Amino acid sequence: MSIRHGLLALLSQGPRYGYQLRAEFEASTGATWPLNIGQVYTTLSRMERDGLVASGEEDEQGRVVYTVTEAGRAEMGRWFSTPVAQSDRPRDELVIKLAMAVTAKDVDVGKVVQRQRTATMRTLQELTRAKRAGSAGPAQRLVLDSMIFQAEAEQRWLDHCEAVLKEAGA
Amino acid sequence: MKQVVVSLHDVARVHGEGEAAVHALRGVSLQVASGELVAVMGPSGSGKSTLLNLAGGLDRPTGGTVTVEGVDLATVKDLAALRRRSVGYVFQDLNLIPSLTAAENVMLPRELDGVRAHDARRGALEVLGQVGLAHVADRFPDEISGGQRQRVAIARSLVGERRLILADEPTGALDTPTGDEILELLRSRCEAGAAVLLVTHESRYAGWADRVVFLRDGLIADTTAAPVESAR
Repeated sequence: MSIRHGLLALLSQGPRYGYQLRAEFEASTGATWPLNIGQVYTTLSRMERDGLVASGEEDEQGRVVYTVTEAGRAEMGRWFSTPVAQSDRPRDELVIKLAMAVTAKDVDVGKVVQRQRTATMRTLQELTRAKRAGSAGPAQRLVLDSMIFQAEAEQRWLDHCEAVLKEAGA
Repeated sequence: MKQVVVSLHDVARVHGEGEAAVHALRGVSLQVASGELVAVMGPSGSGKSTLLNLAGGLDRPTGGTVTVEGVDLATVKDLAALRRRSVGYVFQDLNLIPSLTAAENVMLPRELDGVRAHDARRGALEVLGQVGLAHVADRFPDEISGGQRQRVAIARSLVGERRLILADEPTGALDTPTGDEILELLRSRCEAGAAVLLVTHESRYAGWADRVVFLRDGLIADTTAAPVESAR
């Protein structure tokens, strides 16, 4: 995903100022993807260049309102109708780390797995606490759920690694 | 300081003798205080269920001591009475009696303890209300959903103000939102002062715990108690 698609989705609700877009982006994603205001304005000016958004006149406080264009709406539609490809996601450092631990000599892979499992469990505890606090809106709540499922998948994979390595070592 | 409800000190459990001996637990020390939820995770055969059975007096250790509310279980002759009065169990297979209503299932342990039916029913309705099931009190187990059945089983484990709750895979085959409801319920019992020891193989439910203990081959391999630096 790109920031631009997120901003397009927010602008589809109506015209927004840059600082509003930043706040709404973080509110929707549960602050899992913090943006700085510079990123927001850089992205908006590129989108304007590409004809996806239009900017209004500066008001007396120097603020500019952005509006989505027809081309912008079409781009957003295309984004929502296209599934995310697995290969578009960044490489997982943990997977590489474990593969390297197995390959390298003198590394106690079991310890690497155990340390990771405990660290991921702490993350899972924190996520669960955040979810229980109940202050999140529906969008944030689903983002938290996604992170919980990811942490859970990582735990299952670590258990699997441990079992496979134990069998190989036995 | 929080009051320790159950304490295991260097607990071992060996099944059989000599070369055929199986060491289910090899010296485990663990305390659960009032208001605390501790989860135990580990693969099958790691000693999870043995630990839970020893903590609740369903089994006796071959080494070490188990103390519930300050009483060394080795000195208790009638473990069954202790189990009915101090300890609540929630199992994966719910063990609700199909020919009894939800309320009657919850009343049963109190009645076995000699409490009059009228008082036992009042207690059962109160605790069913606490788990949000007052409206199904007079239905039979096969007339309510899987999640509701599990909440009835938990209500039964709570009745009579038992302060130690032992839960062995209480989310069983429930779907994720229903499983979360069960954990929410256990958590709320903690906040009401119970000590909860939860055995689970699902990390998402262990995530509800204050502390997670990882068992491997009858020993505690790690716990989440002390924070360490993340190197991700």
